[in-house]
Amino acid sequence: MTPKFPSANFRTWRLQIAAVIRLEMKKTFFAKRGLWVYLLALAPVLLFMGRAIDLMRTSETRQEMASAHPVSSEVLGKIRPSMNEDEPGMTIDDVIKKAGEPYARRAFYAGRGRRGRTQIVSMSYTDQQDDYTFTFVDGELVGVNRREHPNLQQDTLIFATVFQFFYLRLAIFFGCVGIFMNLFRGEMIDKSLHFYLLAPIRREVLLVGKYLAGLAATVVIFTTSTALQLWMLLLPYDASAYLHGAGWHHIFAYLGVTALACLGYGSVFLAAGLLVRNPIIPAATVLLWESANLFLPAALKKISVIFYLQSLCPVVAPPEKDMNPLLALLISSAEATRPAWAITGLVALTLVILVVASMRARKLEINYGTD
Amino acid sequence: MPAPPPIEQSLVVLEDISRFYGEVLGVNRVTLSIPPGITSLVGPNGSGKTTLMNLITGLVRPTRGSISVLGVAPTDPERLFRLLGYSTQFDSFPKGLTGFQFIYSFLRLFGYEHAECERLAWKSIERVNLVEPAKRKVAGYSKGMRQRIKLAQAIAHDPRVLVLDEPLNGLDPLVRAETIALFRELAAEGRHVIVSSHILHEVDMISDQVILMSNGYVVAEGKIQGVRDEISDQPMQVLIRCNRPAALASKVFDEASVVEARLHADGGGLLIKTRDANRFYRLLNHIALNGIEIESVAPVDDNVNSVYEYLIGGEESK
Repeated sequence: MTPKFPSANFRTWRLQIAAVIRLEMKKTFFAKRGLWVYLLALAPVLLFMGRAIDLMRTSETRQEMASAHPVSSEVLGKIRPSMNEDEPGMTIDDVIKKAGEPYARRAFYAGRGRRGRTQIVSMSYTDQQDDYTFTFVDGELVGVNRREHPNLQQDTLIFATVFQFFYLRLAIFFGCVGIFMNLFRGEMIDKSLHFYLLAPIRREVLLVGKYLAGLAATVVIFTTSTALQLWMLLLPYDASAYLHGAGWHHIFAYLGVTALACLGYGSVFLAAGLLVRNPIIPAATVLLWESANLFLPAALKKISVIFYLQSLCPVVAPPEKDMNPLLALLISSAEATRPAWAITGLVALTLVILVVASMRARKLEINYGTD
Repeated sequence: MPAPPPIEQSLVVLEDISRFYGEVLGVNRVTLSIPPGITSLVGPNGSGKTTLMNLITGLVRPTRGSISVLGVAPTDPERLFRLLGYSTQFDSFPKGLTGFQFIYSFLRLFGYEHAECERLAWKSIERVNLVEPAKRKVAGYSKGMRQRIKLAQAIAHDPRVLVLDEPLNGLDPLVRAETIALFRELAAEGRHVIVSSHILHEVDMISDQVILMSNGYVVAEGKIQGVRDEISDQPMQVLIRCNRPAALASKVFDEASVVEARLHADGGGLLIKTRDANRFYRLLNHIALNGIEIESVAPVDDNVNSVYEYLIGGEESK
C-alpha cells in the first residue's frame, strides 16, 4: 500500500519543523562538544552565588556584633578626630564612654620616631548598616573610616555591568557560537547532514527547524542562568521594596534581553555555520564588529546585535574611568534607541540574516570530503 | 479513460550532465535514460558512480545539463524524495538513535503522523530482517547491519525509485542473497532500482541493465548482451558442448568469421571465437544436421565481467 503523501502546506511544514526540533533537541542539549556552553552560562551564577553567600555570612556576623555591642548611627556619626591641632582629640576612653565597648579592638606599635615607639589602636563598631573603624595614635583619635555595607542598589549596578560586559558580549555570544554553528557545520563534520537532505523537506523549513531548536536550547540555558543570577543577586537582601518598585520590570527586561540575544546571535552563527568552515573566523569577526559598534556611523550601528540589546538593558552600566583602553573598546556602549524600535530592529536584522542563510541552504551540497 | 503519463514520467533522465569539483572531473557529458528494473552502475573507484548518484538525488548540483526523476527535478526535494529513496555510501548516522528511532525520525520529516511513522518504520525494518536489533543503538551495529538499516531507511516511504550506493558491501552471503532477492522483488513491482557495485558477478546476476563508467564518462549502457554485441573489436566467445569436438573444429575453420577454435580442457567441448555470432549460429545449425550431436551452445563472454574487461581494461577493475 502506497502511503498518502501529505501535500506541501503549512501543516506539513509545521509537522516537519516539529520533527527537526525533536531530532535536534537531544543534540543541542546533551552534545559533549556543547558542555562548555553550560560552563559559560553557569560562571556568572557561581559568581553571584559566591557573593550572596559572602554577604549573608558577613551580614549575620555583623548583626551578632551589633546585638552584643549595640550603638546607634547617630552616636557613631558624632565621633570625629579633632580638626584643630591645639585642641586635644578624643581619647580611647572618651570613645568607649560614648559608644561603649567595640566589637573588635587591635593594638600594635610602629616605628621609632623622635617620640620613640608609636602605639596604634583601632576599634571597630557597627550600627548594623555600616562599619566604623576608629584609629588612635598614642591614645588620641586621628581617623574614622566608615565602610558602607553593600546594598541592593549598588549590586544592581554590579549586575548590570556583569550582564552587559560579560554575559551578553561573551557568554551568550560564545554560547551561540557553540550551539548554532554546530547545527549545520557539526553535522557536516559528523557526515550525517545528508539524512536531512534526503527527506522531502524544503531547505528553508529545515533551516527554520534547526534555528528554532538552537533557539529553544540557548533560551532555556541562558534565561535560566539569568534567572538564577537575579535570584542570587536578591537573595541576601530584603527585596520587597525593589520588587514593588522597578524590580519586576528589571527582571523581565533582563530575561527578555537574554532571549533576544539568543535570537540575534543565533541567526548570525547559524548563517556563519552555513557559509564558513572554521567557526573561529566568523566568531572573531563578529566580536570585533560588535565591539567596534561605538565608532561606526549610525547606519552601520544598526547592523549589529549589541546595538539593540544595550538599548533594552534596564540599567545602564558605564565603564570604569580608569579602564584599560582595549577593554574599554570591547565594552563600549552604543547610543541607545527606543525599546520598541530596538526589538523591531533586532527581529528585522534576524530575519534578514535568516533569509540570507536560507538562500545559502538552498544551494547546500553534500561534499564531506572537502568540509 | 485518463491519458497515460508522458514517457519521461516513468524514466530517470540525465541530459548532458557534467560535474566538476574545481579542476577535478566528477562526471562529464553523461546522457542516460534509465527505465524501471534493476540498473547497475559499474566502474572502478573514482569513475563517477557516486557522483552520478548524488547528482540524481540532488545532493550535488550539475555544473551543466539537466536531470529529471520521473519528471521531477532534483532541485525540488519536497516532491523528489516522496518518489525516491537513497542509501548512500556514508557510513555515519545521527548520534544516539536506535535503528527504529533512526527510521522513525526520518519518516517524521515527511510530515507523517506518529502512528503512520511507526507502521512504515516497522514494515521496512521487517523487510530487511532487522527486527530484533532495531531497538539497539545504531552505533553498536555491525557493518552489515548498518547497511541494512540504511536500506530500510531508503525503502521506508515506499519510493518508486531506489538509488543504492554499494548496498551489498559488508553483507554476509546469506544476507546478501536475501538483499538481492529484495531488489528483485522491488524491481518486479515496477520500481527503478539503481545500484552501484564493483562486485561484477553480482551485478551480472541481478541487473536488468548496466551502465559502465570510467573516469567520469559512461562507456557503455544497456542490457549486457546488447552491450557485448556492440563491442565488435573483441570476437564473441562461444562454448559448444558436443560428442565430436575435434570434427567440429575442422568444420568451423572453413568459416571466415571464426578466428579461433580451441578444444575444451575436458575434451567434451569446443571454445570458438567468432566475429559474427549470428552467422556462426546459422553455420552451427547446418553442422548439426551432418552427424555431430550438439548438446549445448552458450556464449561465455557476454557477462559484465568480460564486457567490463574489454571496455575498461582488467587492470582497472577491482
